[in-house]
Amino acid sequence: MINIQDIRDTARDMLAKGEARMVIGYRRGTRGMLAEPAFITDPAQADDLVWDPTCFNNLSLYLVHDKKFLAHMRENPKGPVAVVAKGCDARSIVVLLQEHYFKREDVYILGVSCEGAGVVDERKLAPLLNGERPSAAAFDGDDFVFTTAAGEKRLAAREVMADRCLECRAPYPKEHNLVFGEDKTGRQLEAPFAALERFEAQDAGQRWDAWSQHFDRCMRCFACRSVCPMCYCDECVVDSITFPVTAGTTAEEKATRIKWIERSATRSENITYLMTRAMHLAGRCTDCGECERACPVNVPIRMLNNKMEREAREKFGFEPGASIGGPSLVATFLDSDPGQFIR
Amino acid sequence: MSEPQADFEPKIVAFLCKWCSSAGSDLAGVSRIQYPANATPITIPCTGAVSPMYILSAFNKGADGVLVSGCHIGDCHYIEGNYLARRKMHLTMELLKFIGLEPNRFRMSWVSAAEGAKFAQVVTEFVDDVRKLGPQDKLRKVVSQ
Amino acid sequence: MSKKRTGVFVCHCGTNIAATVDVARVAKEMADENTVAFTQEYVYMCSEPGQESVVQAIKDNKLDSVVVTCCSPNLHEKTFRDNAKRAGINNFTCEIANIREQCSWVHADKAKGTEKAIKISRSIVRRVNRNNPLEAIAVPVTKRAMVIGGGIAGIQAALDIANAGIEVILVEKQATIGGRMLQLSETFPTLDCSQCVLSPKMVEVNRHPNIRLMTYSEVQEVGGSVGNFRVKVLKKPTFVDPDKCKICDHCTAVCPQVVPNEYELNLNARRAIYIPYAQAIPASFTLDIDACLGLNPVVCGKCKDVCEAGAIDYDMQPQTVTEDVGAIVVATGFDLYGQENMYEMGGGKVEDVLDGLQFERLISASGATHGHILRPSDHKEPKDVVFIQCVGSRDPAKHCAYCSKICCMYTAKHARLYKKHVPDGRAYVFYIDIRSGGKGYEEFVQRTMEDDDTLYLRGRVSKLYRKGEKIKVMGTDTLTGQNVEIDADMVVLALAMVPSQGTVDIAKTLKIGRDKDGFLAEAHPKLRPVESVTGGIYLAGAAQAPKDIPETVAQAGAAAAKVIALLSQATLNRSPLIAKVRPSHCTGCGMCVEACPFIAIRLENGKAIVNEALCEGCGSCSATCLRAAIDVKNVTQLQIHEMIEACLA
Repeated sequence: MINIQDIRDTARDMLAKGEARMVIGYRRGTRGMLAEPAFITDPAQADDLVWDPTCFNNLSLYLVHDKKFLAHMRENPKGPVAVVAKGCDARSIVVLLQEHYFKREDVYILGVSCEGAGVVDERKLAPLLNGERPSAAAFDGDDFVFTTAAGEKRLAAREVMADRCLECRAPYPKEHNLVFGEDKTGRQLEAPFAALERFEAQDAGQRWDAWSQHFDRCMRCFACRSVCPMCYCDECVVDSITFPVTAGTTAEEKATRIKWIERSATRSENITYLMTRAMHLAGRCTDCGECERACPVNVPIRMLNNKMEREAREKFGFEPGASIGGPSLVATFLDSDPGQFIR
Repeated sequence: MSEPQADFEPKIVAFLCKWCSSAGSDLAGVSRIQYPANATPITIPCTGAVSPMYILSAFNKGADGVLVSGCHIGDCHYIEGNYLARRKMHLTMELLKFIGLEPNRFRMSWVSAAEGAKFAQVVTEFVDDVRKLGPQDKLRKVVSQ
Repeated sequence: MSKKRTGVFVCHCGTNIAATVDVARVAKEMADENTVAFTQEYVYMCSEPGQESVVQAIKDNKLDSVVVTCCSPNLHEKTFRDNAKRAGINNFTCEIANIREQCSWVHADKAKGTEKAIKISRSIVRRVNRNNPLEAIAVPVTKRAMVIGGGIAGIQAALDIANAGIEVILVEKQATIGGRMLQLSETFPTLDCSQCVLSPKMVEVNRHPNIRLMTYSEVQEVGGSVGNFRVKVLKKPTFVDPDKCKICDHCTAVCPQVVPNEYELNLNARRAIYIPYAQAIPASFTLDIDACLGLNPVVCGKCKDVCEAGAIDYDMQPQTVTEDVGAIVVATGFDLYGQENMYEMGGGKVEDVLDGLQFERLISASGATHGHILRPSDHKEPKDVVFIQCVGSRDPAKHCAYCSKICCMYTAKHARLYKKHVPDGRAYVFYIDIRSGGKGYEEFVQRTMEDDDTLYLRGRVSKLYRKGEKIKVMGTDTLTGQNVEIDADMVVLALAMVPSQGTVDIAKTLKIGRDKDGFLAEAHPKLRPVESVTGGIYLAGAAQAPKDIPETVAQAGAAAAKVIALLSQATLNRSPLIAKVRPSHCTGCGMCVEACPFIAIRLENGKAIVNEALCEGCGSCSATCLRAAIDVKNVTQLQIHEMIEACLA
C-alpha cells in the first residue's frame, strides 16, 4: 500500500535540496473526484500531491511539453524534472528515452506501482453509482471507495477499473529512480488483450460495421494526439498545419508539404488519420489508454493500438518500453518474423 | 461488401522494387506473358522504402487493391530492406484486416528478377481476387462530382 | 519553385508498343498535363534520328525535364539521360516510363493497355515535376584489393590482380593457402597431380611483390562501400615466426599432444604443433593453441626447448589489423554436406564409409597412407569398392535440391585411380545419370566405364550397413529392374557440395546476399555472374555455386578483371539518389539510424546526418521515419504521393 505522505516528503525534499527543478504529480482537481496534473516547484506545495484511482493522466506528456517549452524559450534545462509515473507511464518515458527525446539524467522517475489496482473507468462507474457524483476516490485493498453525498460507496476494483488496467501485464514501473509500492507484476485481473479479443471474435463485416460508425463519429479534434506523449512530432504527417513556420522555413519546404488527407472530418480521412496514428504508435504505445479516455466521442482508439501491440508481442516478441537500450519495432527485424502472408 | 460486377475493372497500385519485382515484370514482358492491365506499377528502390502511409493513401485515393512486391528474403539488393518491409507490411495488413477491410485487397509477394511467370501469375490472381470483392468503398475518399 | 517545362517523348518501338497502345492518345493525354510543354511520338526513339530529335526538342523548347515513354529503364535510361546532358540539361531530370515490358507486351487489349500506359506515363511526369538536378557523386578509389579465401579461386584472382600492378591482400583462415585443391590427389580429366599444378602458384603468391599474404587470419568487420572498403582482419597467433622457422620438424617429434588431423580429414593424427602439408605456404609450423598443453614452460615447453632457430614465441598475441581496399573478391569455397545428415548412408557412423575428399587423401601420395589405398578400419586393401553419386544432391525433399556438378567426374576419376592402385579390385558406381559436360569429360567417363571395367549401376542406394568385415550396400539397378546387394570393403560417397561455413559467415559480414541454397548470390544470373549484389564485391569459385577447377579459375580471372577495371579509375561515380534529411522535421529519434542497412546515418546534435559515401539510397529510413523527415532524393514521399494519385486518377 502506497503512503502518499512518502511521495510528498520525497517531492518536498527534492525541491528543497534543488535536486529537481519541478515535480510533476497529481493533485485534487476541481471537477468532482478527479485528480489533475500538478506542476510543483515550491516545496510547500508538495502536500497537495495525491495518489488515488483517478490519477489517469500519463504525466510523461508533460515532460514533452516541458522540453518543447524550453526549446521555445531557448533555455537549457537546469536540473531534472521529477515525475510521478505508473507502470505504463514509466514505459512511455522509456520509449521517449529510446528515441533520444531527452536524456536519462533530465528526468527523475518517481515510480508508483499500481499494486493491486489501477485507475477507474468513469464510464463503468457511472451506472453503478446511480447518477451520484463522487467527490473523492480511494484505494482500499481490492476495492475502490468513493465518497458521495449519500456516504461512502465501496466497489470491487475489478468492476470499475479501466480495461487497460485489468489487462495490464506490467503495473510496476521497472525503470525508476525511486519507487513507491510493491512489485505486484503478475497480479493481472484479466488476460492481456481480453477486450481486443472479444471484439476480434466478430467477423470482418461486424468489425467494419462497428468501426465505420466509430470513424464516422470522429471529428478530428485531435484530443487523442494532444494527450499522447508519443505524438510529440512538431508536424503531424497527416495534418501538416501544425508545422511551425519559422524564419528558416524555405519556400520549397512550404510548397512541398504532402497533403496525405483532406482537412474535412469525413470517414475516409478519419480512417487514414487514425490508422496512420496506430501505425506510428506501433511498438511505441505503452497502453496508458489516455487517447481513448480523452476522446469526446468514444472512439475505441486504444483497441487499434492494442491490436498493434498484440501483433508485435505475438509475432515479433516485442514489448514496448521494455528497456532504454532496446530496439524499435519497425526499424528492426528478426529472421523469424512471419512471412506466411507473402505470396 | 458490394455485389460483384461483371464490368468492374479493379484499380490496383503495385509498388515494385527496382531490383527484383520490377525486373521480374520486365521479364514477364520480354516473355510476352499476358496478364490483366489493372495494376499500375510504381517502381521504388526497395520494398523497405514502402511506408505504410503509401498503402493507406492508395486506398484513400480509391485503389481497389494494393500490391507490394520485392525480392525474396535473402536476396534484397540492400540486404535488409525486405526484412524491414515484411514486418511493416505485416502490421499494416493486420490493422487493415482488423477494421474489417477484406484481406484480399492488400497483397505482398516476393518476385525475383528471374520470375517473370510468377509476376504475371501474382498480378492475375490478385486482380481476380479483387474483382470478386467489387469496388473498395471503405477507405476511399468520397469526391463530390 | 517555378513550373517545370517537361517534354514527353512517346516511342512506338516499331509496333512493339504501337500495336497494343494508342501512342497518339498517350501523347495527347500527356500534353494536357500542366507541366508538359512539349510532346512528340516517334517510331524508334532510341535510333540515332530519334535521339537527335530529343536533343533538338530540349533545346528548341527550352525544356528542363524529360520523360521518355518507351521500354524498361534498364535498357535506355542511360541513353536518354546522356541525351539530356548533351542537350544541356541535368541528366537526373530525365526519367523513363516503361510502357513496353510493363504494358504493351503483356496486354493485348488495346483500350486497357492504352489506359495503363497513360497512368504509367502520367505518374512519371508527376515524378519528374519534383525531380531535382543532381550530380553523380565522385568518390576517390583506393587502389588496393582484398581477396578472401586462399584456395585456387583466391590464388588465381590474387595473382591476376597483382600482375596488373595492383596491391592485393590475400586473407586465408587456415595455416596455409591452397584450400580444397591442395587436398586433391589428381584432377580430372587429365589426371595430373593437383599439388604439382597448384604449388607453383602458391609459391608465386608468396613471392609476389604485390601480394601480401595473411594466413591464419579472418575477416571480422567490413565497412565502407565500393572503391573504399575498410576491413578489419584478425590475425590469429601461430606462435611460430615463419621467417625463422626452418621446418626441421624437431618440434613435432617432441610434442606430446596428438589430435585428429583436419587437413587429412581426420584419417590420421597430428601434433599440437604441426605443418598442414609439406608444401604449405607460408612454409612454417603452427602451434594449435586449442590442442597445446598451454604455452607454459612449466607445463611443457618442449617445442620451444628443441627449436634451434628460436622460431617459437609463446607470447605472440592475436592482432587486429585494419586495411583499406577498393574492391573485394570473395572466394571462400565449399564444404561437403555432412555425412551425419545421410541417415540411409549410415549417418557417418559406419566404418570405411568415406567421403570424396577423404578418398582423395587416401590416394594422394602425400596423404595418410602415402598413396596406398588402405581402408581406415583395418588397413587392408579393399577389393570391392562402391562409389555412390548424388549423395545429398538432387534431393529437394530431404537434402540439397541442386546438382553438385563435379561428382560425376570425380567419381569416375576415383574409380579409375582405384583400379590403377588395385588392379584386381572391383569398382561399382551408383548413379542417377551421368553429367559429363566439359572438354574431354565425356570421353573420360567412357574410358572409366569401358577401359577400366567399372560397373556403373543406374539407381540409388537405399541402405547400407556394416556386416562383419563387409559393408552391405542395398541398391537398385533401374536399368534391369533388379535389386542389387553388394558386399563392399569400402564405400565412397560423392556428397553434395555446400557453401563453406566461412562463406556463411563472410556473407553476413560483407552484407552480400546468398541464394536459396546458401551460395553467394551473383548480381545477375546471366549478365553479372561474378559480381555480388554489392558494388565492389566480386565472387569466385565454389562459394558462388558448385564448380570444377577450370571454371573456378575462369571465374577468378573474370573477378580479377572486374577488380582491375574498377580500380583503374581515379574516381567512381555513385548514384546521387541517396537519402536527405529535412532537419526541420527531424527529432533525432534514431529510428532511421537503426533501420539503415549500411550504417550510413548517425545522430549529431539531435539530428540525423547521412553519410553520402555510405548511403545506397534504399529508402528504408524514409519508410521508417514517422515524420517524413528523411527522403531519398528524386524518390521522395511527396513524389510517391503524387504518383499514387496519378495511378488512380
